[in-house]
Amino acid sequence: MALIYSETRLADVIANETSVIPVINRFGINLGTGDATVDSICRARNLDTDFFLAILNTFINEGYFPEEKLRGFKASEIIDYLVKTNAYYSRFQLPNIRRHFTMLLNSAGDGNSNLELMLKFYQGLENDLMARIERDTKEWFPAILAAANGVTGAAVIEHEEETLVEDKLNDLKSMFIKHLSGDYDLNLCYGVIVAIVTLEKDLRQNNRIRNRILLPVSRSLLQNKNL
Amino acid sequence: MNIALQLDDTLQAIGLRYLFLNYFDIDVDIISEAMPDAADTPSTLYIVSPTSYCRNIDFYAMRRTRTIVTGEGKGMLHINNSESDILEQLRELINVRKFQETTQSAELTQREVDVLRLVAMGLINKEIADKLNISFNTVLSHRKNITAKLGIRSVSGLSVYAMMNGYINETDLNL
Repeated sequence: MALIYSETRLADVIANETSVIPVINRFGINLGTGDATVDSICRARNLDTDFFLAILNTFINEGYFPEEKLRGFKASEIIDYLVKTNAYYSRFQLPNIRRHFTMLLNSAGDGNSNLELMLKFYQGLENDLMARIERDTKEWFPAILAAANGVTGAAVIEHEEETLVEDKLNDLKSMFIKHLSGDYDLNLCYGVIVAIVTLEKDLRQNNRIRNRILLPVSRSLLQNKNL
Repeated sequence: MNIALQLDDTLQAIGLRYLFLNYFDIDVDIISEAMPDAADTPSTLYIVSPTSYCRNIDFYAMRRTRTIVTGEGKGMLHINNSESDILEQLRELINVRKFQETTQSAELTQREVDVLRLVAMGLINKEIADKLNISFNTVLSHRKNITAKLGIRSVSGLSVYAMMNGYINETDLNL
């Protein structure tokens, strides 16, 4: 999709790419944007237009990654966005998948052991993601914020990003597509797959922000502290 | 699938590249006169102009089974036709190749099943190598093929698959 500029109407962006709806929600923007441009919406809400644009463009265009620009943003700004992203995963997306997955399993004919196993597998990956969010909230983010504020003695923890959760989501998608068997509710099944793919995409896009922006910021803070 | 273009007309090359990308999800390489072998793999398919073919005759003659020359003759890519006709020609070209590539079976071999079973039971590669009396690298290559065939990478995902297919019992399973 074409790049978004400050003069683009937000409604056009959403109409073209509905997967940005949760992203704009994280910035406190709700639907019903009328004909307002990105810039006017950001200014009305006291948001940094450049940051909002960088996140939206990164999210929509896989190839787009304004590394220099993103590095110019404050650590607190990036973390604030990631905290909201994590909250969205844990409060909405994960429970939503679990609820529909359970309904799907209940709709399936007796003895559909594949779906039962897949739900167990999903619960495992949900635990992995929740553990990652917990580490972010309790260790990584506070440490970066403390270092950014010049608090001495705050240890910035080296944080290598694992791709385990993403791999597992991809595995789960393969299981649905290639290895599903028995009776099940087609419509519910489609709903679960869409939810899984949506989560996978969201994680993938935000990992680029975590690994290529926040990780270097966190490393350079650590280096400065050791000087 | 790798495809490389070497045409005299840059705009023509860009146009073909666009068609491949947009309709077949294939990103082709546009190669320069100087180094036709820059993107060479054993399966690269070449689309070249008659001039480029002649200038690099040694290179393309050795790859003639996978080189298509543009032009009006029989067996050539008719590049001056309408867009829909060019698309049709590209589709046939790709179909033939894809067919050759996918004739290999997606079923696991007996050895791969042996490896899968042990992975699913939680053994690490080194232990699997010892248990099956094969080298560490052989285990790695089996695992790569298993993942490619099943579309499943994680250990717990492989365990689930192994259970679904009765290769292991629930008691062996560690999700």
